[in-house]
Amino acid sequence: MIAAAPGVDAPPELRMRLADLYGAYDDALGEGELERWPEFFTEACVYKIIPRESYDLGHPIGLMQAESRGMLIDRVAAIRKTTFYAPRIVQRLVSGVVLRAIGPDGMRLTASFAAFQTMLNEPSQVFLCGRLYDRVVDDNGTPRFAERIVVTDSTLVPTSLVFPI
Amino acid sequence: MRRWPEAGESRVPNWIYTDPEIFAREQERIFEGPNWLYVCLEAEIPNPGDFTRSRLGAREVVAVRGQDGQVRVLLNSCAHRSMRFCSANRGSVTEFVCPYHQWTYDLEGTLLGVPFRRGLRGNGGMPEDFRPEEHGLRQLAVATRHGVVFASFAQPNQTLADYLGPLMLGYFDRVFDGRALKVLGYQRQRLPSNWKLMFENIKDPYHASLLHVFLVTFGLFRMDQRSAVEMDDTGRHGVLVNRRAEQKANEATAQMRAFHQDLKLADPRLIDPVREYPGDATVVMQTLWPNLIVQQQSNGLAMRQLVPLDAQNFDLVWTHFGYVDDPPEMTERRLRQSNLFGPAGFVSADDGEAMILSQAGIAGNDDRECLVEMGGRDVANAPHTVTETAIRGFYRHYRSVMGL
Repeated sequence: MIAAAPGVDAPPELRMRLADLYGAYDDALGEGELERWPEFFTEACVYKIIPRESYDLGHPIGLMQAESRGMLIDRVAAIRKTTFYAPRIVQRLVSGVVLRAIGPDGMRLTASFAAFQTMLNEPSQVFLCGRLYDRVVDDNGTPRFAERIVVTDSTLVPTSLVFPI
Repeated sequence: MRRWPEAGESRVPNWIYTDPEIFAREQERIFEGPNWLYVCLEAEIPNPGDFTRSRLGAREVVAVRGQDGQVRVLLNSCAHRSMRFCSANRGSVTEFVCPYHQWTYDLEGTLLGVPFRRGLRGNGGMPEDFRPEEHGLRQLAVATRHGVVFASFAQPNQTLADYLGPLMLGYFDRVFDGRALKVLGYQRQRLPSNWKLMFENIKDPYHASLLHVFLVTFGLFRMDQRSAVEMDDTGRHGVLVNRRAEQKANEATAQMRAFHQDLKLADPRLIDPVREYPGDATVVMQTLWPNLIVQQQSNGLAMRQLVPLDAQNFDLVWTHFGYVDDPPEMTERRLRQSNLFGPAGFVSADDGEAMILSQAGIAGNDDRECLVEMGGRDVANAPHTVTETAIRGFYRHYRSVMGL
């Protein structure tokens, strides 16, 4: 069940469906099943990870950007087949999801996230944290992200950002 | 005590990447020596009073545009008790006020006001002979060219143009051709690696055709293309030049395990570069001693600023930019191609990870040395990229500056 902001008329069934979407998304990344990740987005989605500093300045370039599900598929292919990186596990925790508004272009939701990175034989460390700004639409009966903007509190990334948030 | 290997620049001793005494000497002779260090873009401080913070080696500075339109670079440390008086990354002010005791400076760093300088009711205050004009903020020497700001703690005996030399100046002016610039995004990453490994990485085209599957497969940088490695007369600055290749197997790609003829993009807009500079080079990566890499890879433009933290850590600060007169399609193209760069870059993440593991293999093995013999043992410009000559050129200059 996902919380709704005051004044937002969100029936329990809708909130359950949204909770399922968020749960499934977190589950896919938590299990490292990246191939499932693009399926949570619409074909014409916008996905971006951007530091708060750049977000507030209105800069277009962040850390990762996609403007289609195809680009998310390309990101997964790059992680699996082309990118060189030392072995690591990144776990994300998402909390405080709030449905803020329902409009003609979809539902606006926000949440907080923290990501923890564990390198082999090293202690787990806080990697990134920040806010999620989402727009979810009904995509032929399935709720999907039309937009997920991940805004990181810090501009500084310790080492490399390999996996999506 | 420390002695460079007899073989010269074709060997690099591992202790230069780990020794705190070497790091301290680098701060003194390189980062605070008579060199022009990259500070920021003028586009970041377009109007009088606009400022931005930057870091040159160990010292933080504030670049500010004065009421006269001139850019000045001031040490971000109060003349009173050394406090970092400016904590914002950017903004606009009419004066700088240190929060601690409200010492106030104008935009040139001149000390304007000291609260209770004359004491209170006859008590205390600064000594009679206190001269505010002797206690301004430290101001650095500044040089600007086509929208790029450089500064120096020592007054270099060369103009910026002479410092770069005619060959490097030509490559610099290729991207900075006088058109107004605009910032498109900031990135920072902290790499547990010596700062010099970053320069070596961009001076080493050999790895690019091997490590970077993405670049190789999509033909964005490949050894089988007409290419060049060039340096200025000192060897301290360099460029790698390359041209785009087809995704087709040949004699060279047979030696590149990274080449995947069958890999296809689900959304080809990701790599849809257009030519925007004269000539047929599609990549010019320029390394400018001692803290800047100018990246022009396809339509991806960025300043990569090196900020050494200690012998085994540095921050890489990325400023992605375009031109004010870019049509919206060009900005979109730069945005899509930015996926190749930065801490999450399809290409640059490879480099960051490689540098971390290089440092991991060097630390603890500082009695050993790295081998730099690809393309010979000399330092000379090369009309190909099967060479490590620019690394040797870098270390020839490094040794002379460091007395090693």
